[in-house]
Amino acid sequence: MRVRELLTRDRTEHHLEGVSKKRLLDHAANLVSRTCGGIPAQEVFDALVARERLGSTGIGEGIAIPHCRLAACDAPVGLLISLDQPIDFESIDGNPVDLVFVLLVPEQNPEQHLKTLSHLAALFNQSAFRDRLRDSRDGDDLFQNAVSSEEELQLAS
Amino acid sequence: MDSLNLVLLLGASLLFVGLALGSLGARLGVPSLLVFLVVGMVAGVDGAGLRFNDFETGYLVSNLALAVILLDGGLRTRLSTFRVGLKPALGLATLGVALTAALVGGFATWLMGLDWRLGLLLGGIIGSTDAAAVFNVIQGSGLRLNERVASTLEIESGLNDPMAIFITVLLVGVITVGGDPLGWATLVTLLKQFGIGAVLGAASGVLLALLLVRLRSNEGMHALLLCTAGTTVFALTNSLGGSGFLAVYVVGLVVGNRGGGVGDNVFRSMDSLAWLAQSGMFLLLGLLVTPSSLGDHALDGLLIAAFLIFVARPLAVWLCLLPFAFRWREKLFVAWTGLRGAVPIVLAMFPLLAGINETRLLFDVTFVVVLASLLFQGTSLGAVSRWLRVALPATPEPLQVVPLSGSDNRYLMQFRIEPGARALGKPLSTVGGEFAQPLLVIRGEQRLTVSEDTAVAEGDRITWLGPLREKDHLADLCQTVTPSIKRFYGDFTVRGDVPVADLALAYGVSVEPPLPDGLTVAQLFARRIGGLPVAGDILYLGGLRLRVRSVTAGQVTQVGIRLPR
Repeated sequence: MRVRELLTRDRTEHHLEGVSKKRLLDHAANLVSRTCGGIPAQEVFDALVARERLGSTGIGEGIAIPHCRLAACDAPVGLLISLDQPIDFESIDGNPVDLVFVLLVPEQNPEQHLKTLSHLAALFNQSAFRDRLRDSRDGDDLFQNAVSSEEELQLAS
Repeated sequence: MDSLNLVLLLGASLLFVGLALGSLGARLGVPSLLVFLVVGMVAGVDGAGLRFNDFETGYLVSNLALAVILLDGGLRTRLSTFRVGLKPALGLATLGVALTAALVGGFATWLMGLDWRLGLLLGGIIGSTDAAAVFNVIQGSGLRLNERVASTLEIESGLNDPMAIFITVLLVGVITVGGDPLGWATLVTLLKQFGIGAVLGAASGVLLALLLVRLRSNEGMHALLLCTAGTTVFALTNSLGGSGFLAVYVVGLVVGNRGGGVGDNVFRSMDSLAWLAQSGMFLLLGLLVTPSSLGDHALDGLLIAAFLIFVARPLAVWLCLLPFAFRWREKLFVAWTGLRGAVPIVLAMFPLLAGINETRLLFDVTFVVVLASLLFQGTSLGAVSRWLRVALPATPEPLQVVPLSGSDNRYLMQFRIEPGARALGKPLSTVGGEFAQPLLVIRGEQRLTVSEDTAVAEGDRITWLGPLREKDHLADLCQTVTPSIKRFYGDFTVRGDVPVADLALAYGVSVEPPLPDGLTVAQLFARRIGGLPVAGDILYLGGLRLRVRSVTAGQVTQVGIRLPR
């Protein structure tokens, strides 16, 4: 699945301020709960934290892709949050994180969702894509840059 | 021109040309040894017409050179690699050599219609491998072998020469004096060779390390002291009936691992002595041979080489590694890196000097086999290691490694920070703190210490004080993380102490067959690998590919996950 099938404007946040890793995950859980009615925030938060306990989802170069499977979720959901100040995420490269893409997937069809996750990791490994997201002026710009990137077209082809 | 200057002119210019071409060849993935050999042959009887057939001198130079090369090899072998590599290497160095010798001997006897003892002698002569060549090529192609393969090959090549020498000396004795090669006397000789060699080597190594620390000589002197002491031990052991080759290797091993003031500077001057030894020996051996007469035995030699490369070595490796946790790729790579080098050619002179008939035949066949092995195996090692995927992404070497006296075997290690390295932007005081103590940044003309606590920038040269085993961890911090390194380890990372069940649940993969409750990822690796896991080992869990990223004290600590595309 592409970013545009996962992300909506109201799940995109530009320059979120004053969070820690834990507060960020909490914020994301609440955002999911608000925008896709019916999923309890606590459940999302617990699942994300459980995944982080296995090892950080910070993949390096300031990127984190927290992800989890949820029974209450019936279609994959993406959230994109850029941070005002980079925060410590215990990333593999030790660098602080300023771009976070949260992916929640249903429990059915795990293989298909692994491919979505793998696609996201490959996309965020492209420096041009990261740079454009970081250069975004506001939430609208960030959303547009995320859903309509040339890098994604190239990855798909 | 008088004869003295003529000899000097010829010798020095030949060495110069050989070394120049050799360093060029190494960059192109051609083993330098092969280049030296060819330069010697081109200058020799059939090329430029330089006549040299003094086997006595060749033999003397070769023995001296071998002692220096083995000493150097021992110095560079870290005892920590023994944890993974010693047992398989011991098998390969003893049983492996005997098996290879027997198989090749049998084949040569049948092929060339030789006396079986002569055939077996040939097998013994070409029984041992030369890892100096292997590691030159691997490092030259910017690859780092996984620890299981690297340490096994390294230790095997250091230990297998005594076995090959033993077989050769034994058979030369049988042929010239007569007698039964499979009696008690043989066993006693074998034990004497290995026992005296190991004991004398270890004892003199300990003494030498103590002495060198006390002397604190400068680095150039230090390397010479090492070489002369090594050669003394070599000769002493040989004359007492032990294996001098084993002894000198053990001396290097002990001195190198006990500190003994052996730092990077000493390695560098040892390096040039080892190069001098290798180039001198191979040039001389190239001169000794008469390429036009090789033609008589070229076909037999090539067939024997093919048998050795494709049948005898793989079979011996496969058998010797059966009890150990090697994947088939790794076994195949170990089999392919059975490079023959200097030792066989030197051994081929043994029977010649003992005055055995048909020794010219042995020498020529051996020469063809070594040449073929260097040419086919040596030049293809880089490609084969990539194809068999036994290599890890290369890490940068430190700019400098200096031992510090009274630091409990810690070293100053200096690295350059590459663009995009993990250390970038971090305060100096925290960079790599879990592995070693950061001390100093050199940035252009500036020298900044921890008290200024500057943020690390690209191009900085950082100095750490720490144990040598943390070298790779530090190198990791300073290296550009390229997309290919990322792909190699995978998209995400989990810790080794995580229960497999939790991981499987998080990604919705099923585990077949069911695993015991609470089994961690690290334990799963130990189970599936069946031995000590090393960085680069992989296993599959459903659609996930797990790859060991780091190992600390035998325990898997970090595992990369690659998701299905």
